[in-house]
Amino acid sequence: MRHVEWHQPRSLDEALELRSSYGEDAVVVAGGTFVGILMNQGFLRPARLISLRGVPGLDSIREEDGVLLLGAMVTHRSVERSELVRRKWPALARTFSLVASPRVRNQATVGGVLADADYASDPPAMLAALAARVVIAGKNGEREVPVEDFILDHYTTALKEDELVVGVRVPDGVRQAVYRKFRSRSSEDRPCVSVAAARYGGKTLRVVVGAVAGRPQYFPDVCALAGGEVDAGIIREIARRYAENIHPLSDARGSARYRRRVMEVEVRRALEELYGV
Amino acid sequence: MSDPRVTGQTRYSRDVEIEGMLHARILRSPHPHARILRVDASAVPDDVVVLVPGDVRELNRYGCQIKDQTVLALDKARYAGDPVAAVAAPSVERAGEVLDLIEVDYEELPAVFDAVEAAEEGAPLIHEEIAISDNDAAYFGLRPQPGTNVCHRFRIRHGDVRKGFEEADVVVEETYTTAGAQHAPMEPHAALARWSDGRLEVWTGSQTPFNTRMDLAGLFGIPEEQVRIVCPPMGGSFGAKTFVRLEAIAACLARKAGRPVKLVLERDEEWLTLNRHPSTIRVRLGAKRDGTLVAKQVECWADTGAYADCGPGVAQKMGFASPGPYRIPNVWVDSHAVYTNLPPNGAYRGYGQMQCTWASERTMDLLAERLGMDPLELRLKNIIRNGDRYCTGEVMHDVHFEELLRKAADAVGWQEGRRGKGLCVMLKGMQTPSRASIAVEHDGEGNYTIYCATAEMGQGAKRAIRLMAADLLGAEVERISFPDPDTDAVPYDTRTTSSRSTHMMGRALEKAVEDLKKNGRRGFGEVADEGGLDPDTGQGVASSHWHQGAAAAEVEVDEETGKFRVKRLHAPVYAGRVVNRPGAELQNEGSMIMGLGTALFESISFSEGQVSNANLSDYCLPAADDLPDVFTHELVEREGAEVHGLGETALPPVPPALGNALHSLGINVTDLPMTAEAVLDALDRRESSRCRREPPGREGAGRKFCVLAFGISAGVLLAGLILRSRRDAFGRARVQRRILR
Amino acid sequence: MRLAFEVNGEREVVEAGPDEMLLGVLRRELGLLSVRETCGIGVCGACTVLLDGEPVSSCLLLAPLAGGRSVTTVEGLGGEHPVQRAFEEVQAFQCGYCTPGMILTVIRLLEEIPDPEEDEIRRYLGGNLCRCGCYVKIVEAVKLAASELRSVARRGRT
Repeated sequence: MRHVEWHQPRSLDEALELRSSYGEDAVVVAGGTFVGILMNQGFLRPARLISLRGVPGLDSIREEDGVLLLGAMVTHRSVERSELVRRKWPALARTFSLVASPRVRNQATVGGVLADADYASDPPAMLAALAARVVIAGKNGEREVPVEDFILDHYTTALKEDELVVGVRVPDGVRQAVYRKFRSRSSEDRPCVSVAAARYGGKTLRVVVGAVAGRPQYFPDVCALAGGEVDAGIIREIARRYAENIHPLSDARGSARYRRRVMEVEVRRALEELYGV
Repeated sequence: MSDPRVTGQTRYSRDVEIEGMLHARILRSPHPHARILRVDASAVPDDVVVLVPGDVRELNRYGCQIKDQTVLALDKARYAGDPVAAVAAPSVERAGEVLDLIEVDYEELPAVFDAVEAAEEGAPLIHEEIAISDNDAAYFGLRPQPGTNVCHRFRIRHGDVRKGFEEADVVVEETYTTAGAQHAPMEPHAALARWSDGRLEVWTGSQTPFNTRMDLAGLFGIPEEQVRIVCPPMGGSFGAKTFVRLEAIAACLARKAGRPVKLVLERDEEWLTLNRHPSTIRVRLGAKRDGTLVAKQVECWADTGAYADCGPGVAQKMGFASPGPYRIPNVWVDSHAVYTNLPPNGAYRGYGQMQCTWASERTMDLLAERLGMDPLELRLKNIIRNGDRYCTGEVMHDVHFEELLRKAADAVGWQEGRRGKGLCVMLKGMQTPSRASIAVEHDGEGNYTIYCATAEMGQGAKRAIRLMAADLLGAEVERISFPDPDTDAVPYDTRTTSSRSTHMMGRALEKAVEDLKKNGRRGFGEVADEGGLDPDTGQGVASSHWHQGAAAAEVEVDEETGKFRVKRLHAPVYAGRVVNRPGAELQNEGSMIMGLGTALFESISFSEGQVSNANLSDYCLPAADDLPDVFTHELVEREGAEVHGLGETALPPVPPALGNALHSLGINVTDLPMTAEAVLDALDRRESSRCRREPPGREGAGRKFCVLAFGISAGVLLAGLILRSRRDAFGRARVQRRILR
Repeated sequence: MRLAFEVNGEREVVEAGPDEMLLGVLRRELGLLSVRETCGIGVCGACTVLLDGEPVSSCLLLAPLAGGRSVTTVEGLGGEHPVQRAFEEVQAFQCGYCTPGMILTVIRLLEEIPDPEEDEIRRYLGGNLCRCGCYVKIVEAVKLAASELRSVARRGRT
C-alpha cells in the first residue's frame, strides 16, 4: 500500500498551519465528494489529505445583523432544511435542495462546492445572485471575496495555497429571488443552463447564469437596465444581451449553439417569474 | 425466508472469490486503428503476471459468428480500447499501477467511424480476412464480403419493388439514424478463471454458457468437455454479457500465472467492451392513394464496430423485421453488418429491431401525412392478419397486431383527437432455429431440481420456469430448486437471449416432466425449432413465433427549448400465456423505460473514435422521475396460447410512438435520440417551411424573421388561419396546410 | 490506519488506507457485499449506506471520515424490516443489484416524509438508478411500506 498521510487538525490555526506547510501537496477534504470522484477516476492520487471535519466552528448556520452566515462545513442538506434559510432566503434553500441526490447533499458542503468551482454546480450561481461573499481565512486573518470574483474558471478560484474557505456571508435586503435549473435530458442530469436572479429593494437586479461557462456569468451593466420600470420589453432585452455576451461551452448536456438559445429563454423566464410579468 | 435480493445476500459474478486468486486489469489501445509495433513489459515487476501478444499469438481465433477475434490485439489495434496487454497482480490497485509500465509503440492508420462510409469502396480495411465461425451462434447462412468491411449481408427479395414503385400513387423516402447505446448493467462484467489438471473453469456472469464454452475450447484447441462455465446471477445484462467477453483474457492470465485470475471491468471500460449497433436505415415506401401498400425498399447499415460479435445476427434481424407487420406484395431489403473502428457492438435488448422499427414506423406516418390519412387507419388497412404470409414467405399464426394497435390507440384517446399523439406497432423475431433442453430430478421426498442453462439476469426466467414446473409436477414452487447454470451439470441450451427462455424451456419442461413421470427419478426433455432464412432471398421461416407489441404516446412540447414532456405512454404486448405475472409486468415496464432512454437521451459520443462520455453522468440513464405522467402497459393473453417471451417486446415500439407524436405537431425528427436540441432544430425547420408556404403571424410560430421577410398582409385571411389552427382536429389542420401549398 | 466505528450495531475496528473509500473497506474487511460498486462517481446509489442514519455514497466517502460514526447496511436490518417486506411483497426488483441501496434510501425517506406523495417519492429516489427499470413497483413498495410503518406507529401510540 502506498503511504498516504491523513491529517485531522483540531483547530483552524492547525489547519492553516498544514496548508502553509504543504500547499498544493496536500488535498483539503470537506465533504469529500468531489475529491472522491477525482480519486476514483484516477485524476488525483494525493500523498496527503487534510480533513476539516474536526475543526470546530465551521458547521454553523446563523444570522448576524440580518446577514446569513453559512460555515464551510455546513452540508447542502442542512441548508436545504434550515428553518432560518427557508424563511428568509427561500430561493437559496431551494437551490441547495436541487443539487443531485439526498446522498450527495448529505455529504457535500458549502465550502466545498465553492472551492471545487465545478461549472455545473448550482449553489455558486444563486450565491452570486444574492451578492454573497466567500469568507477566506489565512495566516493574516480573514478576507472576503464576492462569489462572482472568487470563481475564476473551471476548477480555479482566487484561493491562495495557504488559505482555506471558512464560510459564506449572504446579505439581507433581497426582495425576491428565483432559481431555474434547465436540464436538457433526464431529471437527474446536471444542468444545461441555470439562472439565478434576485431583486433588491432599491431596484437592483442581479442575474447570474451558471452551467454554461467556466465561471458564473454576471453582467451588472446589463442588469442595470432593470433600474427603472421593468416590463416585458426590458426583460427580453436583458435576456437577449445575456445570451449575446456569454460564450457558452459544449458538453454532454448541450452544444454551445443550443445553450445560447436556451439561455435567452431561461433568463427571460426567470425575470418573468421574478417581476410577475 | 426473505428473498436474497432484499437481504443483500445475492452473490453475483462480481462477488465470486477463490483463495489465492490474482486480480487483472487490461491495457488498451488509445488509437482507433494502429499497427502494434512493439509491446515491452520488461519494466513490470516480478510479483505481477503479464500477458502480451506473444503469449497468445498461437491460440486460435474465435468469435460467435465471425472468427475475427484474438485474445489480445496482435498486429493491429482496431478500436480505441482494444486490449493490447493484460496484467494479474495480488490486488486490483497494484494491477492498475503497473499497467503504465508496459510500453507500446503504435503506428497509426487511417480510421473510419461510420458504417455507410466504411461499406464504401476505398474505406480503410479493418479485417483482411472474414472467416465464418463454427460456433452454434452462427446458426444462419452468413454472407461476409471479403475485401470490404461488410461482414454479413442479408437480403429479402419478395416480388419486384421496381414495378411496385411504378404502380404506386405515392412514394415517400427517408433516411434515419440511431445512435449507439450502452447497456449499462448495474453490475459490471466480471469473470474468474481457473485451470486444474488441464481443465478450464470459468465463473462468469453470462447469458450464453454453451456458446462461451465452445469458443473458449476452440481458442485453446481443447475438447469442450475440458471447459466448464458456471454462471452466477448477473446484476443486469440486457445483452452485454454474451459470448466471450473477458473470459479469454482471464483464462490466459490464469494459465500463465498458475493461479486463478479474476477480471472485473471498471465502469468506463463497459463502453469499450460491447455497445448497441448504431444504424443508418433508408426506407422507401410506396402506396396507392387509398393507402394500400405496394412496395417497400429498405437498406440498413448496422455498425458492428471493430469485431463482428453477433453483428451479423443483429443485421439479419434488423433486416427481416424492417418491413413491419404489414402485407406488402413487393419487399426488398438489404441489411449489412459493417466493421468500423469503434468498440464492438453486439446483442442489446431489442437486437436490431429497435432500429428498424424506428425507421419503418416513422415512415408509415410520413406516408399517412402525404396521403392525408389517419396513421391508425393506414396501419389497419395493411396490418397482417392470421394466415397472411409475411414477406419471408412464412405463414403468420397467432397474430394480434390489430388488437394491440387498437388498444394502444384507445389508451391515448386517439378518437378524441390526434394532436400530440403517436402510434407504433411492431413485430420481432425469436431466435430460429434453436434448441433447448432441460432435465428435472426428483429426490424421492418431494423435492425437485431443475437443470437448465437459462441464466438469471433479473428477468425472472428462473422463477417462471420454476412456476411452470410446479404447475406441471403438482408440487409447491418452494420444493423446486434451480441451481445456477453450470455446463458440467445442465443439458444444452442455445442461449438466454432473444426472449426465448420461458417459451422454449417451457416446452422442453413439459417433455421433461412427462419423461420424469415415466422414469421416476430423472426426466429429460428437448425441443428444437427448425427454420431459418435463405440469406440471399430472405425466404424461409424467420421466427418460429413472433413477438408482437405496440405503443402509443402523447407529448407536450416546450417549443422554445425543444424539451418535451411525455404525458402518456402505453404499450400493449402479446404475452400468450403469463406464468409469472409480477415478473412479466416488470419486464414490460423495464423494456419501456429502456425505450424511453433510447428515445430521449441515450447516446454514446465519440470523438475521433474515442468514447467521450464513458461515465454515468455524461451518459444519462432514465431515473425514477423520468417516467411519463401516465405510464401503463398491457399483457394480452389468449386462452390456450403458448408462453411468449417478454424480455424485449415493449422496447422497440416506444421511440417511434414518441417520434410520431412529435410528427403530429409538425416536428419531424429522423435520428435517435430525440434530444431537446434535435427537436428545436426540427421546430426551426417547421417554422421555415411554414414561412415559405404561408403568410406570417401563424399561431405558435413567433418567428420574427418571418414577419420581417414577408411583411404583414392579408390581415383578415391571417386572422382566419390563426383561428383555424387552434383547432385540435389534426385532419383539419392538415387540410388547411394543403390548401396553402 | 486503524478505523473504529459502529457497523450494523456492532463496534468494529479495521485497517484501512487513508485514501481508501468506505465502500472497499466494508466489502473487504467486513464482508458486507450488499454494498456495491457501480459508477464510482456517486450518481447511481448502489453503494448507499446510512451514515448516522443518513444516506451517503460509500464510494465517495474516505474511510477515515466514518471514524466514530455509525454505519448501517441492509445486512443490519434483519431481513424483516417493513421496507424489506414491502419490496418483497410487491416484487420491486429484478436483478436486485440496486435493491439494498434503494431500501436504505427508502428507510430514510419514510423517516423524513412518513406519508409521501408519488412525486415526492420519485424525486427522493432520483439518485438511485435501476437499469432493470423497476421504478413503478418500487414506488408501490414505498407506499406499502409507508402505510405499514404508519400503522405500526399508530399501534405504538395506543
